[in-house]
Amino acid sequence: MNLFRRNDGHHGSWAPRPGRHRIILATVIVCALVLVDSLSGGGIRSIARAGGSLVWRWGISIEGAIYGSGFFRTRRALLAENSALTEQVAQFQERAAAYRVLQDENAALREILRVSEISRGKGKDSGITAPIISSFRASPYGTFQIGAGTSDSVSPGNLVLSAEDFVIGRIEVVDAHASLVKEIFAPNTLTDAVLHGVGVAVLGQGGGNARADVPRQADVAVGDPVISATLGSRAIGIVGNVSEDSGNAYRRVQIYLPVNLSVLKFVYIVKQ
Amino acid sequence: MSRIFRPTLVIVGSFAAIFAPPWVTIICMGLLAFRYPAWEVLFIGLLMDFLWMSELFSPMPIFTITAVILVWGLEPLRKEFLFS
Repeated sequence: MNLFRRNDGHHGSWAPRPGRHRIILATVIVCALVLVDSLSGGGIRSIARAGGSLVWRWGISIEGAIYGSGFFRTRRALLAENSALTEQVAQFQERAAAYRVLQDENAALREILRVSEISRGKGKDSGITAPIISSFRASPYGTFQIGAGTSDSVSPGNLVLSAEDFVIGRIEVVDAHASLVKEIFAPNTLTDAVLHGVGVAVLGQGGGNARADVPRQADVAVGDPVISATLGSRAIGIVGNVSEDSGNAYRRVQIYLPVNLSVLKFVYIVKQ
Repeated sequence: MSRIFRPTLVIVGSFAAIFAPPWVTIICMGLLAFRYPAWEVLFIGLLMDFLWMSELFSPMPIFTITAVILVWGLEPLRKEFLFS
C-alpha cells in the first residue's frame, strides 16, 4: 500500500487558495486601521472604547432584567447573597487595612511631633465620583473604563481611589465622557512605595496583586500597609504574604489591593 | 457544521473581548485559526487591543500580533495537515 499522500487535489497549488484572498484583504485593512489610529491620535480606539462600553452596559442591563424577572429565582437568591457577603468581606478587609494605615500615619505624626496640614478629608473636596463602565477582568493590560471625561475636568495622571482612599489606578486616556484607567497593579507596572520605612519597587501582576522584594532585616508582617509617596502618600495595598528563601538576601512580599474589584461600581477621582 | 461553528466562535470571541477574561478570547482565536482560514481572527485581535490599550505601541499590541501569527503562521500548516 502506498503510504505517501496523494497530491492529485493540489492541481492549483501555486494559485492562492480562496480563503487566502480574504486574509490578505483583512491584513491590509487591519494595517490601515492601525495607521489611521496612530495618525489620528487614538481616534479609532476612542470609538472602539465607546462602542465597547455601550455593549457592556447593555449586557449588564440585560443580565439584570433576566435575573430580575425571577427566571433563575433560587440561583439568583444564592448569587445575591454570595455577592453581598463577598462585598461585605471586602469592605471589612478594606476598613481593617485603612485602620492600619491611619494607625501607622498617626504613629509617624506623633514621632515627628508635627501636625501635617494635609488631612485625608481635605483632598476629597476636589474630587469627583465616577461610575465604572467596563469589565475589570476582560483587559489583558490591567485597564478599565470610567464614565467621566474631559467634560468633568478629568485629566491624564489623575488618581482613581476606592471608598477608603486606596489608590486603584491612574487616568491614562481621557475622552469627552469616558476615561481609560490603568491599574496601579497592572501587569509589569513598577511603582515606588514604602513598606515599614523601607523603599521598595512594587511590581504589578494584574488582578489587584503585586510583589516586592525587601531586605531580610526589614520587619514586615502580613497586614502591613504599603504607602506610595509618589501617589500623594496614599496606600496602594497591604501585605498578603511574606515568603523567605534561606539562600536569598531578600524576602519576597506579596501585596494585594483590599478592594474587591469585581463588585466595585463607583470610584473616586482626585487630582494628584 | 462549519456554518454554525465559525460564526459562533466569531461572536463568542468578539463578546469575550468585552465581557470575559482574555484567555477566552485567545481560545476562540486559536480554534478559529486552527480550523479555518479565518480573517475574522485579525479583527478580534485588533478589537481587543483597541478596547484596552492606553497607547498603541506601549506595551506591544499582543493580541493583534498573536492574531497575525495565528492566521499567517498556521496557513502552511493548515494547508498541509489540518482540515482545509
